[in-house]
Amino acid sequence: MIAPKTRENRLLATPLVLYLLLLLGFPTVLNVFYSLSEVSFETLRTPRLSGFGNFTAVLSDPAFWRAVWFSLRFGVLTATVEVALGLFLAVFLSPLLQARPWLLALLTLPIMIAPAMMGLMYRLALHEFVGPLPYYLFEWFGNSPAFLSPGWVFWTVCVIEILQWTPFALLLFHLAYSSIPADVREAARMDGARGWRTFRRVELPMLMPTLALAAVIRLIDGIRVFDNIYVLVGAGPGGSTTSLPIYIYTAFFRGGSLGPALAASVLFAIAAFAGLFLALRAADRRAGA
Amino acid sequence: MNALRWAVLVIAVLVMNAPVIVTIATSLKPAAEIMSNPGLIVQSPTLANYATVVTVSDRLNVWAHLINSVVAALIGSILPLALCLPFAFAAARRGFGRRLLLPLVVNLRALPLIIFAIPIYLMYQAVGLLDTRIGLGLVLAVVNLPLTMLILLNAVAEIPRELDEAAAMDGARTGRLIARIILPTVRPALATAFVFGFITAWNEFLFGLILTTQHAVPMTVGASFFFAAGGGGVQWGVAAAVIVVASLPPVVLGLAMYKQIGRAMVAGAVKG
Repeated sequence: MIAPKTRENRLLATPLVLYLLLLLGFPTVLNVFYSLSEVSFETLRTPRLSGFGNFTAVLSDPAFWRAVWFSLRFGVLTATVEVALGLFLAVFLSPLLQARPWLLALLTLPIMIAPAMMGLMYRLALHEFVGPLPYYLFEWFGNSPAFLSPGWVFWTVCVIEILQWTPFALLLFHLAYSSIPADVREAARMDGARGWRTFRRVELPMLMPTLALAAVIRLIDGIRVFDNIYVLVGAGPGGSTTSLPIYIYTAFFRGGSLGPALAASVLFAIAAFAGLFLALRAADRRAGA
Repeated sequence: MNALRWAVLVIAVLVMNAPVIVTIATSLKPAAEIMSNPGLIVQSPTLANYATVVTVSDRLNVWAHLINSVVAALIGSILPLALCLPFAFAAARRGFGRRLLLPLVVNLRALPLIIFAIPIYLMYQAVGLLDTRIGLGLVLAVVNLPLTMLILLNAVAEIPRELDEAAAMDGARTGRLIARIILPTVRPALATAFVFGFITAWNEFLFGLILTTQHAVPMTVGASFFFAAGGGGVQWGVAAAVIVVASLPPVVLGLAMYKQIGRAMVAGAVKG
């Protein structure tokens, strides 16, 4: 009786498995193989295995480490601010959002827009001649920073990311916060806790899983940032906004250095899998405890 | 206190949507006004920029980009439904694949897409899928697999077991059972996953940039090409109108379905 069910289950999973093998499995094998080969666009069909040359080339490239550092700094900074700001807005505005749910649509509009389009919008908004932001800053304060200059550009792209994705954190927190049962709050009030104390002692612990989750999602998305930075400044002045994906992309399409680009993406994949594995282990342990 | 809340709300909405407001304002300015008046108050509003956008020229064929985006996003959002539903049934009802396949699919969300982009490019080049809508759509489906899987898994798990057990007793085969009982019941979940997937696929940029060059360029990439091709002489009003057109479909869909989407996001988030 068990055997036919198993066969049937396998059959039900077959389309998905085939698709995954073709679109992710095969490319991954290709990735690893090419990264260990001497390869260029001309010799795609006849690569020669050459060991770890591409990997040593990448690991000794200062630009690669700058990109790693940029991605980490960008990811940690934006995720932290987004979670903090999102939490504040979700909790502080919750009386308004409970009474008028449509307000949430206005607050979460930015996450419906493609990050690439958001980047282009800022290219317009920050432009020194036609952009309203520099214009109003000049009008009101007589000066405006050059947002895309080497000194400013890191902070500019951070703020852009934060402004687009704080609403994501806000949305998650709003839904988690409004699903805290009323009797839990009531009980806290009976115990004499109110305002800030209720929040610290009762509500915040209940929000903690959602907070951790939003932080992890935003961290991952921050580390792999590409679209908005790419359309706004590309690699940035002096490579100052080169995230890891932008490093790989430019190495591959602009530099034509296939081997190192592939080696870098294999390293990135290993790091991503390792990070994911550790995160899942930690989550499991917490769930088990 | 409530006045303060309203003030914070208004400021948050204005600041977070500022680039949208700027872009809409610029798209309504005639060419002459753009340089002379960078502010947000449009003095002589016009739809001329939009008229330029919808007119096919050698610099921009917005219709081609829109069609490419629609086709690729449809493939990228419907294919995951077809791939995930049968498996979601096996996973939810029989615990099949819960140890390996399910976590694998769900955690794709956490992997940086760029690690697949280059080998897929090389693979597509070999099989002739480069710069085709089908090729782009096939890849966009990857992006949508995790959330589609979670939404459908939850939906199947919520169907009372008695429903399909009764049908199984009557001798219905699994295929019929899925088609007759599961499929109609999870229709709302399918709709949510479809809309969410369509928005995500429409907004995707990296794969469109890498895998298309000319014939299958989607709207987001086309809009950025329009900017890049302008060099110093970008027609800002037209460029703004292009961005508005490119952003409109996902925003309209998102606003129409924001309640379901919020819930879907949470479902995905909690189980993921």
